[in-house]
Amino acid sequence: MPAEVPARKTISTPLGDGTLNARDFNAASAYGPPIRVLPDVHVLKIGGQSIFDRGKAAVWPLVEEIATCAKQHQIILGMGGGTRSRHAYSVGLELGLPTGIIAAIGNSTSLLNARMMQMLMAKHGGILVNFEEFEKLPIYIRNGGIPILVGMPPFHQWERPPETGRIPANRTDAGVYLMAEFLGAKSCIFVKDEDGLYSDDPKKHPNATFIPKISTRALRDMDPNDLAIERVVLDYMERAAHMRHVQIINGLKRGYLTRALDGEHVGTVISADPHACGMLSEG
Amino acid sequence: MTELVNEGSGERTHVLSPLMRESLMDRRVLAAADAQEVIPILPDVHVVHIGGASILDRGRDAILPLLDEIVHCRKTYKIILGVGGGVRMRHTYHTALDLGIPAGGLAMVAGAVNEQNRYMIQAVLARHGGIVLHKDHYVVLPLWLAAGMIPILSGMPPHHYWEPPGPSCVPHYREDFGMYMVSEVLGAASMIFLKDEDGLYTADPKKDPRALLIEHIKPSELLDLNMPDLIIDRAVLESMLHARHARRIQIVNGLKPELLSRALAGERVGTVIEAPQGGRTDAR
Repeated sequence: MPAEVPARKTISTPLGDGTLNARDFNAASAYGPPIRVLPDVHVLKIGGQSIFDRGKAAVWPLVEEIATCAKQHQIILGMGGGTRSRHAYSVGLELGLPTGIIAAIGNSTSLLNARMMQMLMAKHGGILVNFEEFEKLPIYIRNGGIPILVGMPPFHQWERPPETGRIPANRTDAGVYLMAEFLGAKSCIFVKDEDGLYSDDPKKHPNATFIPKISTRALRDMDPNDLAIERVVLDYMERAAHMRHVQIINGLKRGYLTRALDGEHVGTVISADPHACGMLSEG
Repeated sequence: MTELVNEGSGERTHVLSPLMRESLMDRRVLAAADAQEVIPILPDVHVVHIGGASILDRGRDAILPLLDEIVHCRKTYKIILGVGGGVRMRHTYHTALDLGIPAGGLAMVAGAVNEQNRYMIQAVLARHGGIVLHKDHYVVLPLWLAAGMIPILSGMPPHHYWEPPGPSCVPHYREDFGMYMVSEVLGAASMIFLKDEDGLYTADPKKDPRALLIEHIKPSELLDLNMPDLIIDRAVLESMLHARHARRIQIVNGLKPELLSRALAGERVGTVIEAPQGGRTDAR
């Protein structure tokens, strides 16, 4: 050991120079709100099991509607995984693999759906954007392109252990939501195969009632055993600087996406600000 | 045998699996995986994280004796090294926050500071087998470890623009968490954080001379204490509550390099933070 502890070479900032502590976190919150990086984009999540696994009957008409909408709106697509993810997860779980590996595996299904979607949308300007090219979004959007991204967040082996089980808590809903939040997007729309949120899974419980709008807190209090959107998204919404509400819409019904992009309430709006619930556009 | 299950034209096609048609948000479906053991991927590797502000910012006199000890220990133990960022990362956060960059942007740019530190440490350790491990090359670890190398990672996890909004504007998932997750996923033999104190104290020993060393504590207890100065990132403690492998971490004084070999040998030097074994979660 050196006779004297070697001194730190420091740079003075309002944040301290040791391990970040409570004082630093307070100092950090004094800087003011973050900017919106791409405030005019709408971020759409295309469901894997709910839309893509239905094949051309569901996907082709949706592709045409997205292409038409893209003439008026800036659109970024994030792709879900679906039944192949489920198959890969169940094999991975059976092998005793940890959550981090399961998350890395999940990425691939979402990627191959993104590649297929890109081929379908190429003639309308669909372009596959890898994580490494994220900063190129402005040029694609400015030239009328429709960027298509993997829905899974890039956490992979760094996906933290979930509270229950080993299936990653951050999957394609969370990844697409976090992208919308970072971008400060105009809206974040989840395109699925139901009109929105129900009191229970409507595919298994035909008596389930439709919920047109709900706050994150009310949804948490309901504490449904099952949920049409990943639970972590609710946590993130409550801490978000920009994406305080999201909408779940039915991608099997033509025209709903067009109306949602125009700011209409056509599915279920989930909001972290109950008083603003139902307000769709940040304007 | 894999089978396709077609629900009809325009309906979903499934691949037959136990999760088929299931909602992955259904708690009963999720909980089914809890009963099973998780395999350790590289159980004989030790993950050692070198603090940025605590060690690296102190320069040569702090770094070189520690690296000598790491090279010495590598003769006996397989080691993966992580490097922190330190004060340049703090200055990066400061500049970014001032400019109104969102949290995901902070997480994206901060890693560059770790990369500087990683390249410096790799250059010094190269003749002893130090090698830069990019996160994409994770799967080649078995080869490098068998060849006696010392892989060096940037501690920052790859959350990038996807950093979740956390309790503060600064990224919640930082270097301590990044290296902790390496040990959790690999099922490593140990997770050692090298800092500039003998361990965790009841208060910041740099400011309060009456602060007492805590030799052993549960992560749940430590979270409940809600200490203003915590020598380890909260995200690590939160993750330990649900971890399947890395339920024990150790904080060791990297300015006393001789302590590292004792920690690697399993001695309780410094502070041991340990979640009770056996349970799925640390009972709170």
